[in-house]
Order: sequence, then structure tokens, then C-alpha cells
Amino acid sequence: MEITKNQTFEKFEESFKAFQEASDLTKREHASKLASQIDILSLSEDGISYLYKRSVELDEQGLFSGTSWAEPTKLIPTLVKGTLLAGHPSSSFEIVSDLRLLAYAKGAESNMISQPVAKTLLEEVLVHNLEFALNDLSEDTRQTMSEREVKKAINLFSFLLSETPIEGIYEKLALEVDLICSQRPVETRKARELIRLIDQRFQPSGESKHDQLVRTFINALKAPTTFIAKERSTPEAYIDFIQSCSADELKSEAIEMGESMVRTGLVSQYHAYLLLYLVKDNHALVPACLGLNERGSAEWEKFKDIIVSLISEIVTPNNYQCIYGLSWVLGRNLLSRRPVRAGLENLRRAKINPQVEKRILKSIDDPDSSVTALQYLLGGTLKVLGQPLGVGQGNNPTCQSARGISMWSQHAPAKLIDMIITVATQNNLIMRFENQDLESIKLGKGLVEKLDFNLDVVSAILVPHLDRIYNEMMKRSMGRADDPHRWVNPAMYGHWIPVGFASCYDYTSNSILDFEGFIRIFYAAFHPLYNDNNQVLYPIPVGIYVTSNHGDMLGFHAISLLRVDKDPSGDYRAYFLNPNNEGRQDWGQDIKPSVHENGEKAGESSLPFHQFAARIYAFHYNSLEATAHLHLVEDESIQEVKKLAQESWGKSYNWIEQPKLW
Amino acid sequence: MAKCFALMGWSLPVIESMQKTGKPFVVVSFPDFEPYAKENDIPFVPYQLDEWSDTSNSLDLVEKLNAYNADVAVPLFEETVEWAGALNSIYRNDPRVLNRAFLFRNKAMMKRKALIGGLRVGLFEEVHNKEGVKAFMKRLNEANLQLDGEEDSWVHIKPFASAGTVGHRLLKSMNQIDEECEDGDFPCLAESHLSGREFSCEAFIHGGKIKFLNITEYVKLGYSNFIPEGHYLESKRDLIYKHVQKLVDIFGIEYGMVHPEWFLTENDELNFGETACRIPGGHILELCGKSYEFDALAAFVQIHDPSLTDEELAEILPPEGFKPKNYHGNVMIYPHKKQFSKLEIPEELNNESYFVDHTLVPPLSTQKISDERAGFGNHFGTINFKGEDPDRMTELLKYYQKVDFYV
Repeated sequence: MEITKNQTFEKFEESFKAFQEASDLTKREHASKLASQIDILSLSEDGISYLYKRSVELDEQGLFSGTSWAEPTKLIPTLVKGTLLAGHPSSSFEIVSDLRLLAYAKGAESNMISQPVAKTLLEEVLVHNLEFALNDLSEDTRQTMSEREVKKAINLFSFLLSETPIEGIYEKLALEVDLICSQRPVETRKARELIRLIDQRFQPSGESKHDQLVRTFINALKAPTTFIAKERSTPEAYIDFIQSCSADELKSEAIEMGESMVRTGLVSQYHAYLLLYLVKDNHALVPACLGLNERGSAEWEKFKDIIVSLISEIVTPNNYQCIYGLSWVLGRNLLSRRPVRAGLENLRRAKINPQVEKRILKSIDDPDSSVTALQYLLGGTLKVLGQPLGVGQGNNPTCQSARGISMWSQHAPAKLIDMIITVATQNNLIMRFENQDLESIKLGKGLVEKLDFNLDVVSAILVPHLDRIYNEMMKRSMGRADDPHRWVNPAMYGHWIPVGFASCYDYTSNSILDFEGFIRIFYAAFHPLYNDNNQVLYPIPVGIYVTSNHGDMLGFHAISLLRVDKDPSGDYRAYFLNPNNEGRQDWGQDIKPSVHENGEKAGESSLPFHQFAARIYAFHYNSLEATAHLHLVEDESIQEVKKLAQESWGKSYNWIEQPKLW
Repeated sequence: MAKCFALMGWSLPVIESMQKTGKPFVVVSFPDFEPYAKENDIPFVPYQLDEWSDTSNSLDLVEKLNAYNADVAVPLFEETVEWAGALNSIYRNDPRVLNRAFLFRNKAMMKRKALIGGLRVGLFEEVHNKEGVKAFMKRLNEANLQLDGEEDSWVHIKPFASAGTVGHRLLKSMNQIDEECEDGDFPCLAESHLSGREFSCEAFIHGGKIKFLNITEYVKLGYSNFIPEGHYLESKRDLIYKHVQKLVDIFGIEYGMVHPEWFLTENDELNFGETACRIPGGHILELCGKSYEFDALAAFVQIHDPSLTDEELAEILPPEGFKPKNYHGNVMIYPHKKQFSKLEIPEELNNESYFVDHTLVPPLSTQKISDERAGFGNHFGTINFKGEDPDRMTELLKYYQKVDFYV
């Protein structure tokens, strides 16, 4: 029996009335009942705006009296997230508290707090909770918060963001855009939303660093070339222009267009018009328009026909972000591999299963009826092939699957294409595990309860299958007295994964066993100073403990170690893929993975080597090689890591020092 | 009219209701509550209610309450029933009022009284150790003409003087007696298993007559109930009414509220379970008040006043023949797992038109439930429902009792 919006509001009002009628003696009890109505209202956008309208009265009637929200001027913006993480009823009170701040910031009368103070508070609250406002959750949020609480928080903050006067957080938002885009994510929706928001709410016309930065991004979406900016050209006018302009003008359009894309990783609709025009009979300008590097240009020369037909088939004025993917498919010389060419050819002719088609369209923000699911899928495939490190898990607990897609894209692109084709046409996938075939549609649920479709197209169709297979492999490996990943990773990801495996977690005793020996292997296997300066070849699956900004244990996470190198300042850093695409990471103890300015390639995260080591609990390695280097590792390095580990996640376990036979 | 009610025990909802009536009252409870009472201007007499000594006894308490002109005592909790009995026997100058209070506090005595008066009760006996329980079960088996290999007859044991389900054990076999009974359980009452559909009544008594009878439908004992009763029990209302009045007559209850529990068999026979005379658990009076649109707590207190006139009675109780518009029910939520970390409210509850509100709270980080539970243990909150169809209500309460809110 579904109930209507009005009924929900009525129930709230009934409960509010009972609350008002209660004397001080039972006020708190009634407040907790009222909170259960607030909880339900905050699950919908209408509910949030309804609560906003009632927030001042709720405050005046004493919803917060006797609680830590009682005096609004004493609220601490950094504590808001923790309160939301605590769940109902705290989160429900917090929501009304933030909504009343908004009301006071917009001029509602209060004898508790002035308008400017309310405004400053609110801005700070927003800055600290952008992940909710932008629907881009951090790992600790995902680990701690239930789906329901996430929904409430996202509703609250999208409302606050759309209603708050936000001049005060301009710089923070500018940096946020930079942080997201510098990772070159495959899925650009969050970046676009944020840029659009800044564009609507601010006038970044000055010469400050932030203004310039922000303008670059806004232009990448709205006016990627000087001509478009100057003329404020509509797409229609732009088509007229490129058809009638001089050869020089056309050339500079192509160059500027390519440059804007290379600079930001963002593609605009104009780009599609220009590129589609150039592939008709201006082939010479295509490399510039695609922003190709030298290798890319060579690839263009070699496979011009194929590329032209790919562009004409896939790129449309409503399917254009894939141009950036294509640029890197060429830059990575992927077409020079016959299986990739053949795979793409096969995919072009694929007949998509209706179920899969639904999933594809669901993952597209605002699917255009002129673009087919196959076109979207082909575009998505180009993106994933071109930007392997831009693959993300979205708001799903599927780091393992994302890690796999990224790895196949880097090292087995044709295998990935083949998986895409199988899933797209059959809505099924087979992998083999210990001599038994696992067929995804015949398996039980994986880790995902309900896939969040804020995902790139390829992930949206592959992850449901990969997730089930992965989970089945895990189930079959349980109870073997070691971490199931030891067997699952090589089977799931393929022969690129070394079979050697070390885990410091002892399943039988639920404790950390011989951590020193464990770290010694890690250093001997991966640190260039101890491993004969050998480099990491293929991505190494690593299990890490995710910790809060206080260093407290939150949960487990799957990442890939990509390389270990000296950073610009000469220190050794571990560069890794975090499928979470998180820019603002703080793992406590001053361990803050960075995503740029420390030698990272787009999409990589990095940490000083010892800090990285202090968060790992399992990794794969070449056991034959590493053993020879064990004695080289200095005890000091090991102790440094051990201390960090013991004082953070390590507090959640018993530590057994007894040496283990690795 | 009573000059002042002495409320025996600390209950904020009752205090609030009494404040609303504007009738004079004074709260008697442990000294711990004194600061709060002072701060909130609640008339209060601190008393060590768990002690009986030269300085802590009813004569002394009467003295203290004289300052407030108290002349009617009201037991709010099981543990204050004797205190209220003692005070009222002084106020009414009738020593038997105290003896009657003991009836409510000794389940064996209660059963004997019921049996003498002609109510149907199970076979019962006071037992002092495991052997006693076994002997009781053996005799019960014999009486039930047990053959070799047949299951033992079920036996319940319960402390003489605890509220509701506290300390209650159901023993289904001889082995279970050995495994589960502890020395601390004894002495207690052993009782044969009564079959039938269990429900409770809340009968407001004045001058020895039922002035208002509420029937509470138990969906699952200790978990969920709703008011008024569903269609089936409603059709037996007359029968139930007669039995409750009979109970009142047998026990000689004049003023107050009784909360007996009954088992209704398929042959329309009522087995008497037990009765109490304080505020029942399970938020029953809250539900009752909502359905019958009156302040059930204030009525509970005032019905203890012998001097109430018929007009005054009519004011505090629902009108005769009042038909509630809605059924109000609740389900108390207990965690199903022993270890859990999150409160998860299922989506379907948001869209449930019968849903009113809930008082569930999240666990403290990762919380474990200890193995020792008194009665059904402490519940983590209540979910309230309201609606017009008792069958739908039953369905909902059954359903949500099975949902695990703590994961």
C-alpha cells in the first residue's frame, strides 16, 4: 500500500503536534518519535524542502533543546559528517539543524544566531561535505554508512548546495574541479556537474589563479575555442562557421579544440561537430583535432580508414566524451594490435541483449534517442581502452571488478573487448576457477545489492557479472586457512598476477602474524633499493586497510600497485590505482595519498613507500625472486612501517611476533 | 475527590498526564530522582522502596505523605504493589487491602485464590529445586496418560513475584530441566502448559465493578500487541467481560485496574493465566489511550480514588459503548543477531500507510547481546502502527517482528 506525499507530510505534522503538546518531561521521547518522521521525509527531495520550511519552527519549539545542537553558534562544521555517519536518530537531527542554518543564513529571524554567522557556518559545513553534494562518496563513507543514510545526506546537501549563497567556498570548489579532472576519470559526470555549478553561481572573470583555473574548465565545456568564446556561438552557428571559414581559421579551430581536450580531459559538443566535419574531407586536421601525440599521429596515418569509420559511427553531437578516449586509444597504439582491431570490429557488429541495453541506457545521464545503445557502448569501450587508470567503481563496493577492468584495459585490451562483447550479447560471462567453469547468470548475488549506475557504460554492464564470479570464487576459497584472495586474484585477473602471496593477517587466530617478516618481503619484492632496482611490471593486486583520518580501522579495500619510483623530490613513492578515484584522501597519521604534483600519471594515487607499506595487509609477488633479496632489507625501515601500522589499524588486532615460514 | 494521589514509582508519562489533569499528586520513589524532581517542580518524597526496616516502612511513609495530604496510593510498578496496598489499607482503614496486594505478588497464592473462586487454571505447585520440577512433570505425565516414548508434558516455571515474562522458563522435557534450571530459580511456581490464544485485559474497576474494559490482542507475547482487539476476540467480548468481573469478585478488588492474562480455547473456555494491578508493559495504556481517545494513564491513577462520583468517572473514561476508529498497535524490536553494528530501517516501512513512528536507536559501535536476558530482554525501541483493519495490523506486526533491524 503506497502512501502519498501528502500522507507523509500529514504524519509528520501529527507527530510534530504531539511533540508540541508534550510537556518538558516527555519532550525528548516525543522528539525521538518525531525524528523517525524526519528520517522518512529526508529520504525524498520534496521531504527535505518540506523540512526546510518547517525547520525554524522545529527549532523554536525545542527540537534541539537538551541536545548538542541546542546552541547553533557552538556547532562545529567538521563534526557534521561524523554525526551523519552515526545514522539515525543523530543524522535526522543533524539534517534539521543544517536546514535551519540555511533558513537563518537566508534571513529568518533568530535570537540564537545572526545571519552572517549562520552563513559562515553553513559554508563550512558544505565544504566539508562536498562528497555528498556531488554524490562522490569517499571510501570511509561507503564503508560506514548505510544506503539509506547516504541517500538522506545526498538529499540534504544537494538541497543546501542549490539554496545556499556560496561565495565563500569558491576556491574550494575550484580546487575540487582540478582534483577530479587531473585524474582523468572515464566518467566525467561529476566534474561536469561541478563545473556547471560554478559557472552558474560565480563570475570567475578575474585574473586570480583560481579564476584562471576555473575558466579553463568552464571553457572546455562551453567554449573550447577562441572563436566560440568570442562569438558566444551556438552549436548551429558553429556548424555554419566551420563550413564557411578559411583554411587557416579551420586549422586553428582544430588545434585549439584538441588542446582544450588534452588540457582538461573534457570534451564539448562543439568538438563532435568539428571532428565529424573534418573526417569528411579534411583528414589533415584530424590529428590536431584529436590532440594526438606522435605515436597517435603515426597510428592515424596507418589506420585512417578504420578510425574514420569509428568516428563516423560512434561520435555524435550527443556522444562526444569518447573522443578523448579515442585520442588515447591511438596514443597507446592499440589499433596496431590485430586482436584489438578485430575485437572492435566484432563489437561494432554486436547485437545487444535487451537486458544489457537497459543497463547501458540507465548508466547514461540523459540518454538521447538519436544515439543507440551500441553507440554508447562503443564510445564507452574507447574511453575505458584509452584511459585505463580512469576506471572507477562509482558508489559501489566493487573495487575488485574495477581493478580488473583497469588491468585488462592496460594489458589485455582485446580480452576486455571480448568480455564486453560476450556480456553485451549474451548477458552472461564465463570464467574458470580451479577446473570448474563459473557462469555468472547461474551464480548467486555478489557484493552489490543494487548497482549504482553512476558508472561508465563498460563498468555498468560488466560489473554485475564480474562481481558475481568474484564472489563465487571467494566463497569457494573460504576456510582454507589463508586469505581467499591468494587463489582468487590469479584466477580472476589472469596470468599477469604472480602466484606468490603474502598476508599478515592470520585467519585461524584472527591476529597479525609476523608483520616484520611480511613487510620484509614487501620491501624485498618491490622497493628498488632492495630488489636490484627491478621495476613493477604488471599491476600488483594489493589488499589494504582503509583507515579514518584518525587512523582507525574502517575496512578492507582492493587496489593495484602500479609502480615504485622516485618522485620529483627524489623520494621513493608507491604509485597505485585506487578504483575509488578519490582525490581527498586522509588515512590518518598524516598519510594522505595524493593524485597530482608528486609525479603521478593521470589516474594514479601515490604515497611515500613506507606510508603505503603501513596500510597493506596482503599482496602478490614473485616468491622465487623476492626470497633472494630478503636479507638486504634494513630493520629500521621495517620498524618505521610497523610503528605506523600498530598505532593505527593494528589496534584492532592482536599481534603475534612469532616468525612465520613464508 | 481525592485530596492527593501518591504515585508509587517514577514514571514521566504518568507525571505528565497528572500534570495535565491539574489534580494534586506526589511521587514516591528512590532518592536518585530527587534532583530531577526539584528542578522540574514535581512534588516528590524520596523513599528507599527496596528496604523494609525501622526507618523504611508504611507507617513512616504515611507520616511523610501527610505533608501532602495524600489519601490514595497508586502502584505504578510491580515492585510497588505492596507499598500501595499497605498505604491504601491505612487510608481506607481496611487491613485486607494489603492482603489483597499480596495476592498480586505471589503467583501461587493468586492461582489458589482463582481456583477456589472457580476460574479455570492449570495444574500448579510451589517447587523448591530441580527434583521438585521433575516430580511435578512426572505427575503431569501420569495425569496425561503418557505412554513410553511419548513426549513429556510441558511445564512452565516462574518466580512468584516478578513482572510479566521476567524469569519465565518453558521446560519441554526432563533433560531440559537438568540443563536449564539453576539454583537461583528456586523457589518458584511450576505450572502446566495452558493452551489457547493468549490475550490480556485492562479492566478499570470502581466500587468492585468494571467501568471500562479494554482487551489487548497479543500478536506475539512480549513482542507485539494491538488495541482494540481484533474481530475474533471482539466476538467473545461478553464472555471475557463475565470472566473478568468474576475475577474481580473473587479477588475482592474494589478500586484500581487489573491486567489479567487469559487463554481462550477453541471451545470458548477461558483459562486464567495471571493478573497484575500496575501499569502493564508493552506500552499498552499508550495504545489504549490512543484508540479510545482518553488519557489512560490519568484514568489509571484516578480510578484508585474511592470517592470518585459517577460524573467524574464518566469524564475520565471513554463513553460507554465507544467504538474506536482506529486500531493502534506496536511491535517491540529486539536484535536477532548476537553481534551487530548498524540500525537498518527497511524501505517498505517508509511507504507503509499504517506506520506511525518508531523509537529505534542505533547500537553503540559494535554491540553484543549478552546471553543472559531477563524476560525477553530489553527491547531496542518500538514501532507504532495505526490503521482501520485489524487483520492488516496483525499481518504487519507479525512481519516486522521477523525483520532484523540490527545488522
